Amino acid sequence: MRLRPSADLIALISDGLYADKGLDSADMTAALADLEIIEGKLLAAVDEMGVVLARTSMSPVIYEVLDFACGICDANGELIAQSNGLTLFTGTFSAQVRFISRKFAGRIRPGDAFITNDPFEGGTHSCDMAVVQPIFVDNEIIAYSISVAHWLDVGGAIPGSLPPDAVDTFQEGLRLPGMRLCENGELLPEIADLIRVNVRLPLLALGDLNAELAATRIGERRLAAICGRYGAVAVKNVFESILSLSERRCRNAVALLPDGVYEATDVIDGDGVSDEQIPVCVAVKIDGDQVSVDFTGSAPARGGPINCSRGALLSAVKTVFKALVAPHAPSNDGWFRPLEIEIPGGTVFSAESPSPVGWYYEGSSQASELVWKALAPLASNRFSAGSYMSLCATYLYGQRPDSDDLFVHIEPQHGGWGATESRDGASALIASTDGDTFNYSVELLEAILPLRVREYSLNVGDGSGAGRHRGGFGVVREYEILTDAAYLHGSLGRSQERPWSVGGGTQGSVNYVDVTSASGSKRIARIKQMALAQGDTVRICTGGGGGWGDPSERPIEAVESDVVNGYIAVEDAVADYGLDPTRLSSVV
Amino acid sequence: MSERSGRLATDVGGTFTDLVYLDETSGELEVAKVLTTPADPAIGVMDVIRAAKIDPHSVAFFIHGGTTVINAITERKGARTALVTTAGFRDVLEIGRGNRPDLYNLQFRSPESFVPRHLRFEVRERLDASGNVVRPLELDDVEKAAEACKVAGVEAVAVAFLHAYREPKHERAAAAQLRAALPGVAVTASHEITREWREYERTNTAVLNAYVQPLMAGYLSRLGDLARDAGIECELNAMQSNVGSTNFERAKTHPITLVESGPAGGVSGAAYLGRQCDAPNIIYFDVGGTTAKCSLIEGGVAKLDSEYRLGLTRLWPGYPIKVPVVDIVEVGAGGGSIARLDDAGMIRVGPQSAGADPGPACYARGGELPTVTDAKLITGVLDARTFSGGLFELDETRARDAMQSLAEPLGRTVEETALAVNRIAEADMVNALKLITVQRGHDSRDFTLLACGGGGPMHAGALAREVGVREILIPRHAGIFSAWGMLATPPRRDIALTTLATIDALKMSDIRNVFEKMIREAKEYFDLEQKLGKALAVSTKLAMRYQGQEHSVVTDVDLDTQDIDDILQGFHRAHERAFTFRLNDSPVELVTYHLAAEVEAPMPPIAPPVLATGAKDNAVRGQRSVWFDESGPRDATIYSRERLAQGIELQGPAVVEENTTTTLVLPGQRLWVDQWGLLRIRED
Repeated sequence: MRLRPSADLIALISDGLYADKGLDSADMTAALADLEIIEGKLLAAVDEMGVVLARTSMSPVIYEVLDFACGICDANGELIAQSNGLTLFTGTFSAQVRFISRKFAGRIRPGDAFITNDPFEGGTHSCDMAVVQPIFVDNEIIAYSISVAHWLDVGGAIPGSLPPDAVDTFQEGLRLPGMRLCENGELLPEIADLIRVNVRLPLLALGDLNAELAATRIGERRLAAICGRYGAVAVKNVFESILSLSERRCRNAVALLPDGVYEATDVIDGDGVSDEQIPVCVAVKIDGDQVSVDFTGSAPARGGPINCSRGALLSAVKTVFKALVAPHAPSNDGWFRPLEIEIPGGTVFSAESPSPVGWYYEGSSQASELVWKALAPLASNRFSAGSYMSLCATYLYGQRPDSDDLFVHIEPQHGGWGATESRDGASALIASTDGDTFNYSVELLEAILPLRVREYSLNVGDGSGAGRHRGGFGVVREYEILTDAAYLHGSLGRSQERPWSVGGGTQGSVNYVDVTSASGSKRIARIKQMALAQGDTVRICTGGGGGWGDPSERPIEAVESDVVNGYIAVEDAVADYGLDPTRLSSVV
Repeated sequence: MSERSGRLATDVGGTFTDLVYLDETSGELEVAKVLTTPADPAIGVMDVIRAAKIDPHSVAFFIHGGTTVINAITERKGARTALVTTAGFRDVLEIGRGNRPDLYNLQFRSPESFVPRHLRFEVRERLDASGNVVRPLELDDVEKAAEACKVAGVEAVAVAFLHAYREPKHERAAAAQLRAALPGVAVTASHEITREWREYERTNTAVLNAYVQPLMAGYLSRLGDLARDAGIECELNAMQSNVGSTNFERAKTHPITLVESGPAGGVSGAAYLGRQCDAPNIIYFDVGGTTAKCSLIEGGVAKLDSEYRLGLTRLWPGYPIKVPVVDIVEVGAGGGSIARLDDAGMIRVGPQSAGADPGPACYARGGELPTVTDAKLITGVLDARTFSGGLFELDETRARDAMQSLAEPLGRTVEETALAVNRIAEADMVNALKLITVQRGHDSRDFTLLACGGGGPMHAGALAREVGVREILIPRHAGIFSAWGMLATPPRRDIALTTLATIDALKMSDIRNVFEKMIREAKEYFDLEQKLGKALAVSTKLAMRYQGQEHSVVTDVDLDTQDIDDILQGFHRAHERAFTFRLNDSPVELVTYHLAAEVEAPMPPIAPPVLATGAKDNAVRGQRSVWFDESGPRDATIYSRERLAQGIELQGPAVVEENTTTTLVLPGQRLWVDQWGLLRIRED
C-alpha cells in the first residue's frame, strides 16, 4: 500500500524528523517520490499555460516580447507554481487571487472566470490585465489559475494608456475592480462590450483576453487531471508540502547570513512631471531566519506616474529576496514566508488611489535595486553591481501612412548590468523587473510598423563602469519614422544618477533618448507626448552597469581584448586601467 | 568480387560507435559496437566496419550519422569564424534576444556568441521589409571585410543581411565576392540555410553552419576517402536532423542540418517500423547514458520542430538553429545520471551524469556516486554477469556502497533508496512524455510506446503504466536502434517559404502553384535526371493563424482533394485542439508553405529471415529476485530474447535479456512475441 503525502507526513519532512517517528520507511520513500512527481506536473502545467498565451495572443508585446506570466495558486491564494515570465507579476498573483476570492466569497461557481487590473487591489497598473479562474474538484475550489498580460491599450488620456505626465490614476485608462468575466465557461457579453468601447484597439484587447482565458483554462484542465489521478486530498497536501519545504529551505539560507541591519539609499530621477530627484531608502534587517525590509523614510507619493502601489512593491522585493535565497529553484509563496515588508502608506512605494501609477515599474525597479544594493556586499555570490535598472520603455504610435489605422509600438529596452565578483557584467539584458522578455526582431517590426531601425548595437560609446570586472554595455536602438503622424512618449529612469559600483569600481552610464528632427536635436528621459514627422529619428541609448573591484586589478590581457574588440576606446584603457599604449601595436 | 547488396549504417555517439549491416540477399542483420575515437571519429567508423567483418565491396548503400556536429558546437571546437552583416547591426549576434529565463539569477549572462566582436564586419547595404533596396550594397565594404578576414586567419565566414529571407540578392552578391576573395574559406549566406524572418535566429544559424563547415567538410572527406580505400564504392549519405538523408557533398555545405543526426535516425526508424507493423502512432522513447529522449510520431510521420534551440532549458535560452529538426524533448535522466540529496534532504536525479567514464559505480572504473544503473542493479533488474552481453561484469558491492551514501542520511535501506532513485528518474521521463502528448492535445492511449536505447526497455513498463499507452513495443537490437533507423531513411529535402496572405484572398490554384514551384525546386535539388525511375514523395503543409497572431498552427493539406474551405475548417479544428478555442469570425492568414520531399528508397525488412522456434521453457535462463515496488522483492523469470519464439506469451514479473538491453515486464503486465519477432507488452 503506497502512502500519499499527508499533512502529517509533510510536517515530518519539514521538521526533518521522519526517521524517528516509526513511520514505515517504504511508504515514506514512495510519498517523497510522489511529491516530486506532482510538483513536476504542476510546473509543466504552468509552462504550458505560458506557451498557449504566447501562441494565441495578438499583441507583439505578448507574443514577441513575452510581457506576461501565468501561475497556479492554492485555495488560499498562495502561489504554488509559476511560468517563466515576468518577475514583477509573480509577486502579485496571490494578492489578486485573494482579492477575487474575498470579493466574490460564496458566489464563485464552476465555469466562472474573473478579471481585474486594479492597481490598488494587488495589481500593478491598468494595462496589466489579470484573468483568474477557480478550479473546482467535487464542488470545492482546490486552486486558481491566473494569467496576467500587458494589453497594448486600455483607454485613458493617450494611446497606450500610460501618460508619462499623468497626475492621477483616472488618466490611465479603464479600471476593472474585480469583475465576473465568464459564467458556465462563456464570456459574458456585457463585459466584452465594456472593454470594446473603452479601449483604442478592441480587436487586440479581446484577442488577448481570449488568449489569457485559454491559458487559465489549460491550467484548470491540467490540474483537474492531476487531481483525477492522485486525488484532491493528495494534491492539496502536495501544495502545502511545496510551500513548507520552500519555507524551510529559505529559512536555512537566511540563517547562514550574518545578523544585522543593512542599509542603502538612492534617488529616483524625476517623476514624469518634474525632473527633481526623489530620495528613497531601505533598511534590511536579518534576524536569525527572518528578514524584514523597511522602506520607512522614502519620499511621499508623487503627482507623477512613477509611484508604485504596495502590490508592485511586494513583487519588487520578492524578486530580490528570491535571488538571495534560491535563484534557480521554482518560485512559490513558501519562499516568502520568512519575509516581512514594512512601509507607511502613501509613499512613492506605497501609493494609494488616486495617485498615478502608470509607470509603476520605474518606482518598483528602484525598490528592487535598493534591496539589492543593501545586500550586494553581503552576498557577492548572488548579486551584481548596479544596472541600467529602468525598463526604458518607449511608446511610438500614430497613424499608418497607408490607412487611417492606429499603430502602437511599446518597447522595453535591454541594457547593461553590473559586474560581479567573478566576472564582467552582462550586456544588453532585460532589467530585473522583467525576465523571460525578448527584444523585438527588427525584421518582424519593420514588416508591421511604419518604422525603420537604423541601428541596433551595443552602446560601447557611453561605456560602462570600470573595475577588476567591468560593467556590461547597454544598447543603442535608433528609429527612423516612416509616417507623418507619429508621437513618442516614454519614461527612462537612471538618467542622472549613474549605476552604482562595488569595491572600488567606477559607476556605469545613464539612459537617455536623442530625438532629431529638422529643427534640431534634443536629449530627454521622462518623455511627455512629442509629435514626430517623417524622417525624424529617435535614438534610444541605455546605460552600462557599474564596475566591481579596483580597475588596477584587471588583468591587462582583458583590457587589451576589450580594446581589440572595440568595447573600450584606447584612451579609456589608458586612463582607467593604465594600459601602456605602445603595447597595443602588438595586439591591434 | 561480391555482389553489392548490403546496406550499412554507422552512428557515432559520445561513447560508442554503432554499426548495423543488412545483407539484402539473405535478410541477415549484422551489428557491432566499438568505442568512439573522439580525436577523429572516422577512425572509429572504420574500426566498427572492420569489427563487423563485412565485405566493404558488398555495400550498396551507406549512411552515417552521429553527434559530431553537435559536439563541435557544444565543445566549441569549430572554425575561426567571421560574420559579415548589415551596417549598424554587427552586435545583433551578441545581443541575441536579451531575455533572462533564469528569472531570479541576478548574475545571468546571455549565451556567448560564436564570433568575437572584432571578426564581425559591417557593410553598407539595406533592404526594407518588402525586399526593396533602401541602400545598394557597397562592394568596397565587402572587399575590406575580406581583407580583414585574410589578415585574421579566418577559416569560415557567415553572411547575414536584414530581410534576406525576403530578398537574398545582396547576400548572394556579397557571398560570391567573399568566395572569390577567400579561396579555401567556407562561406555561408543566411538565405542558403533558412528563408525565415527574425535576424538574430537566422544570423546565428548561418554562423553555426559556417562554424562547423570546415571541420565537417574535412571529416566527411576523410571518412569518404577511408571508405573508398577500404572498398566501399556506393554513394555516401549523411543522416539529417529532418529525419531524412542527404549525400556527403551537400552535407559538407549544409552541415548544420546534421545537428541532431543521431536521434533523428532513431525517430526515422520508429516511424518506419510503426508504418510496417500496424502502429502508426508512436511515442519514441530512447534512454542513453546521460539523457532520455522522446518524440511523437502520428500517422506514421515524425514531427519536426521549427523553433529548435540547441541547449534550451527552462533556465537557459540556448542557440536558435532555423533548420527543421526532429521534435525531440530531452531530459537529463539516463543510465549514468547521478542521484544526490539536495539541501532539503530530497533525492534528486541528474542532470549530472557519470557518463561512460568514470561511469556508474558498478562499472568499477572509478565512479563512486550512485546512478540510475546502480539502482537497476541493486533492485535486480540488471544482472551483474549478463549486462552488455557479458562484455564486462558489474560490481554490485560498489553499487550498494554508493547507494548507501544516500540511504544512510535518509534512514532507508539500500533497496528502498534505489527504488526511489528509479522512480524520480522516471518522473522526469514521464514529464517529457507528457510534454509531447497530452500537453499538445494528444491522448497517449492512442499511441504505442517504442522503447529503445540501452535503458529504454527497462523503464518502459513503469512509464507506460503512468502515462497510459496502448502498448509497448521493443524493437530488435533496441540498444543500437538509431543506426538501424538510418537504414530506413530516404533522402529528404525540406523547403519552407514565408509569404503572408489572407486565406480569403487565395484560390486553391494559387496554393497549388506555389507548391508546384517548390516541388520543382526539390527535384532540381535531388538532380532527379540522375536517378531515373525514382519517385519523389511529397508532403505539403500550411502554417496558418488568425489575423493578428504571430504564431501559426501547421496543418496537412491535400492538394488533390481539398478546397480552400476544407483547409480553413482544418485550421479551426487544429487551433481549437491545441489552444482550447477557435475564432470563427476572424480572418485567417496563410504564413508559410512547408514542403517535405523524399526520394523513394529500399527499406530494411523488420523481421529476421529466421525466427526463433521452440517452447517458452527453452528461453528461460533462470529466476531472480527483483524489487518492483516498496512491498519487497518478487521472484521473476529471466528469459533470453534470442530464444523467444513467435507467438509466445509470458506474464510479469519477468525480465527479458539480450546483448544491448534488458526488458522489464512488471507484475500485471503480459508480454508476447509478434509475427515479426518484436516484443509487445500490455497491461493484463
